[in-house]
Amino acid sequence: MKVAIVRFLGTNCDFDCEFAASYMGAKTRFVWHEETNLKEFDCVILPGGFSYGDYLRAGALAKFTKLANALIDFDKFGGYILGICNGFQILTELHLLEGALITNTNLRFIHKHVYIKRMPSICKMTRLIEKDILKMPIAHKEGNFYCDEKTLKKLNDETRVVFRYCDKKGTINEESNPNGSLENIAGICNKKGNILGLMPHPERAVSFLGEDGEYFFSFLR
Amino acid sequence: MKATIIVKPKKGVLDPQGNAIKKVASNYFGVDFVDIRAGKYFEVELNSDNAKDIIEKLASQILSNEIIEDYEIIYESRHS
Repeated sequence: MKVAIVRFLGTNCDFDCEFAASYMGAKTRFVWHEETNLKEFDCVILPGGFSYGDYLRAGALAKFTKLANALIDFDKFGGYILGICNGFQILTELHLLEGALITNTNLRFIHKHVYIKRMPSICKMTRLIEKDILKMPIAHKEGNFYCDEKTLKKLNDETRVVFRYCDKKGTINEESNPNGSLENIAGICNKKGNILGLMPHPERAVSFLGEDGEYFFSFLR
Repeated sequence: MKATIIVKPKKGVLDPQGNAIKKVASNYFGVDFVDIRAGKYFEVELNSDNAKDIIEKLASQILSNEIIEDYEIIYESRHS
């Protein structure tokens, strides 16, 4: 599998993502935000960071890049798009995924390890994961998933909620919700199941950093 | 043309920033603020034949996110 690692101004998890994808055996190439063609790739990763300084809204300004248009084309052909953290925020701003990531309820930048539960979903990227509860870090201030009731119902009905925050045993409750996300939502996918956005950082849980990131990235093998 | 654009969190959307300010302000003044909502404020100046159109699009497509925010545009009168 050939993976694009996208770089916007302010992206800072690009090397981590490149490391994780290569570690899993994928071929990788860094892609600058002015590139217009992604046809050579099977998967595009939008890494975390603070694209454009998080100015205006997290992820808002990245959607006005040439790369964003290329991404919309890439989606039409069904290529895999994975947005991690700031990448997830960018995907919602682009309306490739529903909802929005607003400020954490405690107003703080939260960085810690959390557990997330893989839900039964139509996401194509998570099918090969051989366990349901994964441990990996979060590191964000705007990770509080919000959408209106109608959208929430649609996400649930269409089994497009891919991950929910949970405790070590997999119980999904208020205590295990780090940021105030609606129904503990940590990640969702689109209708075709080829676009996934999540706030936690699987790329920070591979090799010497952990093993659950490796479970997560099984689709790259 | 000059315009002021105010972007605010939609009704019903949690506003953690406004809530934090509300708590501090309520404690400080010893009163109960019913609500404080925090938004953003933009001053825009544009010379173009279709300035109004463009400013409207600026507010809806760039400055605000319709899922979580509403916006209001106040155009400055030419005589002021």
